Amino acid sequence: MSELEPVIGIDLGTTNSVVATVRDGVPRVIPNRGGLLLTPSIVAVAKNGKRLVGALAKRQAITNAENTVFAAKRLIGRRWGSKEVEDARQFLPYQLVAGPEGNDVRVQLGGRTVSIPEISAVVLAELKADAEAWFGRPVRKAVVTVPAYFNDGQRQSTKDAGRIAGLEVLRIINEPTSAALAYGFGKQMEKKVVVFDLGGGTFDVSILDIGKSVYDVVGVGGDTYLGGEDFDRRIMDWLTFAFAKENGGVDLRQDKMALQRLKDASEKSKCDLSTAPSTAIHLPFLVSGGEGKGALHLDKQLTREKLEELTKDLVERCIAVTDKTLRDAGLRAAQVGEVILVGGMTRMPRVARAVRDYFGREPSRGVHPDEVVALGAAIQAHALVAPQPKGEEVLLLDVTPQNLGLMVVGGYFNTVIPRNTTVPTSQTHLFTTVQDNQTSVRIAVLQGESEKAIENELLGEFILDGIRPGRRGDVSIEVTFAISADGIVGVSARDVATGAEQSITVTATSGLTEDELKRILDEQRDELLERKQTTREFELRRDRAMALVREIDGLRPAVESALEKSRFGKDAIQKAETVIARVRQAIAARDAGAIEVEEEQLDRTLQLFRALAAGGPMPAGG
Amino acid sequence: MSDLAEIIDRGVRAYVTGRIPEALAAFQQALALDPQNAKARGYLVRIQSTHPGAATAPTSFHGRVPLPDVAHPEPPAPTLKPFDVSTPVEELAHAHAAAGDGHAHHHEEDFAPSPWDEGPAAGATIVLSDEGAGAGIDLSAVSEKSDLRPLVPEGQAPVLRGPPTDVDLWLKAAKELFALGDFTGSLELIEKILIVDPDHGEARDYLRQNEATLVSMYESKLGPLHAVPRLAIKPEEVMWLNLDHRAGFLLAQIDGSVDYEGLFAVSGLPRLDTARILANLIADGVIRS
Repeated sequence: MSELEPVIGIDLGTTNSVVATVRDGVPRVIPNRGGLLLTPSIVAVAKNGKRLVGALAKRQAITNAENTVFAAKRLIGRRWGSKEVEDARQFLPYQLVAGPEGNDVRVQLGGRTVSIPEISAVVLAELKADAEAWFGRPVRKAVVTVPAYFNDGQRQSTKDAGRIAGLEVLRIINEPTSAALAYGFGKQMEKKVVVFDLGGGTFDVSILDIGKSVYDVVGVGGDTYLGGEDFDRRIMDWLTFAFAKENGGVDLRQDKMALQRLKDASEKSKCDLSTAPSTAIHLPFLVSGGEGKGALHLDKQLTREKLEELTKDLVERCIAVTDKTLRDAGLRAAQVGEVILVGGMTRMPRVARAVRDYFGREPSRGVHPDEVVALGAAIQAHALVAPQPKGEEVLLLDVTPQNLGLMVVGGYFNTVIPRNTTVPTSQTHLFTTVQDNQTSVRIAVLQGESEKAIENELLGEFILDGIRPGRRGDVSIEVTFAISADGIVGVSARDVATGAEQSITVTATSGLTEDELKRILDEQRDELLERKQTTREFELRRDRAMALVREIDGLRPAVESALEKSRFGKDAIQKAETVIARVRQAIAARDAGAIEVEEEQLDRTLQLFRALAAGGPMPAGG
Repeated sequence: MSDLAEIIDRGVRAYVTGRIPEALAAFQQALALDPQNAKARGYLVRIQSTHPGAATAPTSFHGRVPLPDVAHPEPPAPTLKPFDVSTPVEELAHAHAAAGDGHAHHHEEDFAPSPWDEGPAAGATIVLSDEGAGAGIDLSAVSEKSDLRPLVPEGQAPVLRGPPTDVDLWLKAAKELFALGDFTGSLELIEKILIVDPDHGEARDYLRQNEATLVSMYESKLGPLHAVPRLAIKPEEVMWLNLDHRAGFLLAQIDGSVDYEGLFAVSGLPRLDTARILANLIADGVIRS
């Protein structure tokens, strides 16, 4: 075992997240403290006020929908009012609000307004804690993956989430690149690889051009509202209608508890059918049978064939999106050297078959599709902190995720640095004025894929004045875009004739200001300190109270015997039981204050018991 | 069982409105149906201790059903107030006389706390009334010369205390049940009161007390709350149980990975309901810690 500080790779997914590491040269997934390899990316405040993360949060996602945040990845780094946020608002049951500056998205959770990076940070912190439990020591550094189409703002937000979670994010890497890394592609190979990633909530297709250890994402496509949950919903609908038919029209959708169980069972049956030809869905006491009647059961057999029939169009959509992505990239299926399956849904035999039929080749199957992205991230994390043997370095180049450019006349977007350009890079373009004697121009720096400027992300803007007056078209303005290795974008504009120059540095922002981030980090530090102090105080009081309880319990037989011969103090045992029950309740609630209150009663009970056991007079007030 | 509940309900109503023979008959009838019924037995004990003559009614059950020792201590009443203002003065006097009857040894908590123990005394409350003019202060004369005003505006009919309302009866019954240790029965009545009068302060106090006591009782049956419960029967046997859909939901969450605290969080039900369902599942041998 190396003495290096442990580093982890995290696949922060829309639906599930996975953490992995490299140990003794072997990449492996770290199970969470519940023993599972996948942690649902869900954060909730339960109805009893408890904060829940992961599997527990998922179990009450329907019954407590307004206080359960899922799919935060759809919102991270997005602007308030953007199309993606408006789309998300249509289907998310929790409440979204604008940030204080009105430009980013916040959620209402448990009566608080919380930023999206804070939500993601809760998931990251959970994974960090799982890793620390596994390593038995602190973990501070991680590589985190994001979709290839994430812009700089979304990447920065993810980094901020890591910072809030107490992680130094060594690098943000693209999910398809990470998957390719896990397969060891890039060593001694030059080929085009398609990463077919059908996750819980989104479908992404990426085309990688791998050559001499350089991973170039040459094409990205997908459907951000197509994933495993759509397959689950088909099963749920099928079960709901069948149940209504068999039970006089009882609609399970009207009962949140029933719906929660239906959702869980649908997902489980879907997974079962990846390996078995049929599965039984058995949900006893699912819903009330009505006044004076017993609860109703659901019993149904689902076959793989039926599931394929129910989800046929979804699989076809995946293939149609894949086809479009390849066409956009000017590629034919036959030119693809490898196909990597990523995401739990690709374990569905029908999906794997459809991919094979489309590409005319068997997809790579060496690595588990749920784990492959996290494993790649772990490999990259390890490569960044551990010296690699010569010739075996995994060279991962950062590329620009989207086109960078500026707004030109007519509201169009003019690309200066195309997407997938390896950074650091610098490009210069010449522009001219639109009016006669124009002395100033507005430079709006944008990032995105649309031809219309307004549909792209505005990174920043500035005015260049002091331009030489001249006829329109005669003035030359040189605009230079430069991206540093850290992803910082610098844009400068210069009047070639006068030399007048203006520039702007664009640092991607998550919507959280530095002050806000500092406040969140301070609050977390305070909370951690408080929790530590509270824990210490609670443990002290609990131990003291339990010592008293044990002593009281030990005296009980003698007290019972003494009371049999006495006319007084008959209620002593009952009173003691009441006090002990209250103490246990306070301990269960981890309420140090309540334990303190009960401690005096315990003391008095103990004194009374001692007196009774010794056969002496009862103490005053006992 | 609904007949039994009705009979007990009738008995409780009779008891709290002072119709002791009727109450006695109802509880004895209840015991005939269910000899182990704790509520009926508890009331009979109480009637025996407070109305010794009534207990010798011709239909006495002493011959058939052994009753618990009348000296069995009552569960402590909620310590909501220094003393219960609704207790009739006669009963208090009776209780004080009984307390002094040959018992030289008293505990401090047997007595209401001294007002001197609670800090400086407040001024005595004076209730002013127009009635009985001439016997005391002449209010009409005083009111012209000072700020002293009657509490009831002139011309308005004084509020007469009518017969006890359902809420009064339920509250009294709820207190009785609480004192008898029947917290579930007490809670049911309190909930009835709060449906009629959601802001009833005393009912709310009793609601809290009942709930806290019941939660504590049920949780004590679960054991440590960080323990992970597991199914104690075969999965295929579950459907032969008699559960409601809420218990069905909770049972579905018990898969060997979630502890009791987790179940309280994911159930979405009030803590009392969750604790009650889990305690019942343990009692029925459906789950084990």
